[in-house]
Amino acid sequence: MPRPNFGELRNELLNSGISPSHVCRAVTEINEHYEDLVDAGLDDGRGRRDAEKFAVGALGDLKDISAAMREQPELKSWAWHHPKLALLVYPLACVAALPAVPLVAGVQNAAEIARWAACLLVSGVLTAFLFLVLQLSISPI
Amino acid sequence: MAQTNPPFMSGVPELLLLRLLDQQEMYGYELVRSIKNVTEEAISLGEGVIYPALHGLERNGSLKSRRKAVGGRTRVYYSVTGKGRQRLEKLQDDWRRIQGGITTALEVPAHA
Repeated sequence: MPRPNFGELRNELLNSGISPSHVCRAVTEINEHYEDLVDAGLDDGRGRRDAEKFAVGALGDLKDISAAMREQPELKSWAWHHPKLALLVYPLACVAALPAVPLVAGVQNAAEIARWAACLLVSGVLTAFLFLVLQLSISPI
Repeated sequence: MAQTNPPFMSGVPELLLLRLLDQQEMYGYELVRSIKNVTEEAISLGEGVIYPALHGLERNGSLKSRRKAVGGRTRVYYSVTGKGRQRLEKLQDDWRRIQGGITTALEVPAHA
């Protein structure tokens, strides 16, 4: 039996307006639950395939889980509750965030940037030293 | 397997979850096992649909959660808040009242 398609569940929940934080956590929890069920099946002496079949059956249909989440308006994102406001806020937030992108990227890659800077510094010093040696060698004493 | 009747089962998962989590914090898989144990499998909840219920209870302030990495897995432990305890007391009172009413009705002869 194929493994449940948790990616499809994630997309379905996001498309139905469930808050991304709830979607992310719920999918992680359900995935872990599935793994626990498989382990329980294996502990009961089932083979891998049987254990996975048992886990899929016990977990239930992902569409039921999706429907149960959709039934709860409090789990919907603020953009779902206020779509017109979201249409205004999201583009403005993106524009406001643009100047911060290089900074964030710099912070995230700080180690790599520091390495490159150190290499440039060393190569600059080395080149300057070579020019100095060259200059001294051709300069009349 | 126990048959479920949505109108009569309404509120039962919430009552069970709050009751069990009031005793100790648990994650989803533990909760499902506990429900099966304490109800002697008389009530069978779809294992996956416990998460929407937990998220809903957390969203309305009855539960709080914390993540914990255990054995390479991410566990989300739930526990009851003060608001959740108040809700639990109300649900227990409601349930006992309904249970008392049904018991009385069953004890009264059918032709009465």
